Amino acid sequence: MSFGLITSLSLSPPPDYQREKITATPPSTTTMDPIHTQDENNSNQKTVSSDNHISTIVIIIAMQTEALPLVDTFKLTEDRNSPFPKGTPWVRYYGSYRGLNVNILWPGKDAALGVDSIGTVSASLVTYAAIQALQPDLIINAGTSGGFKAKGACIGDVYIASEVAFHDRRIPIPVFDLYGVGVRQGFSTPNLLKELNLKVGKLSTGDSLDMTPLDEASIVANDATVKDMEGAAVAYVADLLKVPAIFVKAVTDIVDGDKPTSEEFLQNLTAVTVALDETVARVVDYIVGKSVSEL
Amino acid sequence: MAPPPPPPPNEDNSISHDSSSNDQHRPISTIVIIIAMQTEALPLVDAFQLTEDTNPLFPKGTPWVRYYGSYKALNVNIIWPGKDAVLGVDSVGTVSASLVTYAAIQALQPDLLINAGTAGGFKAKGACIGDVYVASEVAFHDRRIPIPVFDLYGVGLRRGCSTPNLVKELDFKVGKLSTGDSLDMTPQDEASILANDAVIKDMEGAAVAYVSDLLKVPVMFVKAVTDIVDGDKPTSEEFLQNLSAVTVALGKAVTQVVDYISGKSLSDL
Repeated sequence: MSFGLITSLSLSPPPDYQREKITATPPSTTTMDPIHTQDENNSNQKTVSSDNHISTIVIIIAMQTEALPLVDTFKLTEDRNSPFPKGTPWVRYYGSYRGLNVNILWPGKDAALGVDSIGTVSASLVTYAAIQALQPDLIINAGTSGGFKAKGACIGDVYIASEVAFHDRRIPIPVFDLYGVGVRQGFSTPNLLKELNLKVGKLSTGDSLDMTPLDEASIVANDATVKDMEGAAVAYVADLLKVPAIFVKAVTDIVDGDKPTSEEFLQNLTAVTVALDETVARVVDYIVGKSVSEL
Repeated sequence: MAPPPPPPPNEDNSISHDSSSNDQHRPISTIVIIIAMQTEALPLVDAFQLTEDTNPLFPKGTPWVRYYGSYKALNVNIIWPGKDAVLGVDSVGTVSASLVTYAAIQALQPDLLINAGTAGGFKAKGACIGDVYVASEVAFHDRRIPIPVFDLYGVGLRRGCSTPNLVKELDFKVGKLSTGDSLDMTPQDEASILANDAVIKDMEGAAVAYVSDLLKVPVMFVKAVTDIVDGDKPTSEEFLQNLSAVTVALGKAVTQVVDYISGKSLSDL
């Protein structure tokens, strides 16, 4: 893939809407950006990792509210030269963090309706496009989720998914049924789990924020502790393209509790996002200097 | 046979990559037909005498298959999302459909997309087995997000491209299409489908519409009815029973559509 001639590293301050969240310092001149960096031979080269250390990570985050604090933590900048086709709302924030090329991919706001492009279709597209453009060594899908108190989940808990599956793709024909459920393992990270003392549970994905009795039955069949709207779709694409993927999900609402989901979710979103982003930062710190097999 | 070259430059030597700037009066040159199941696709591959593209048009690991060739005045491509690598079944559903639509548009820059396939029909809205519909509108029925505006986003209502002459000339039925990832239908799904005022129900349409809209490629939906959703027989049974026969009807209809399109511009349709 040719990325054409170098575009200048932007030394201008980050865009206005980010100023509240991000310190106004321009990106570091040592920022390593696999797309926009040009080496001495005037070619564009992906940064080559030494000793198979993880070099490039892509963090897929569905909502801007969830993403911006992390953009801030890692001091990333928005990629104004979008590597994605005209018309797609997907936003890439990138930068160098402790030697890692960190990318946060947010599917952006729906052009017509102005809300975050949540859900499985968006997530699969942005995962596909990000892998094509950035060739990451590891994908992290981070976000908020519902939790089941019957499985021990509490508001503010952050889970690593051992497994992900769909609960709203019911195809009652042999083998198609399994395809619909699409169960996949999160990439195995025993050392990370132990070191960071994170909770582990199965993740169930569906395109609805609410939960019908049939959804519930499927979620129970999936043995899930947490419920989201993107995970299994990210897993599908990561699996197709053979990129390791892990899932970090923070609980904003108790699905099998008394409060209606939308209410509880909106109430806790901001606070739980803080917990989510702290954990993702710790995960990324852990990853620095390691290979995928060391996780 | 080498794959067809990218679209030629315009008369002033500029390249139109953005279909919205394409001249609506220029003859349609490249079409992409997205078909979810191999059973639905192969009769059409046959009818248009297409060949499978063995060059890696799509990234390694993706199961997507491209059949292509010249047919009358058109570059015709049939894209099938292929069999799941592990389970061996057709990669049906919205995630696959959106990915393959995105990849096909990127690779082939079509003037027009056609999403063709089988569907359930509602007899209460006049659908019968074997009927072929062109969708006026498509929407999701299984993405319920009860927060203002997110709810509309979930439903994702979009129009099919306007083809009044085609529909009249070929005498197709027209109706609203509702999309969901399940073959069955829960009471909540049914309520959403009714709210969508749909006469037919499939598993890909609204996802293809979403991607086509992002990338501004006109899209039409041609769906043949294999089962009556609000009838007596269980869907899976009826669907499997009628799949082969209805696929023939679908193939004939899509052939008629492509024959009609050949030599015309978008504004002619």
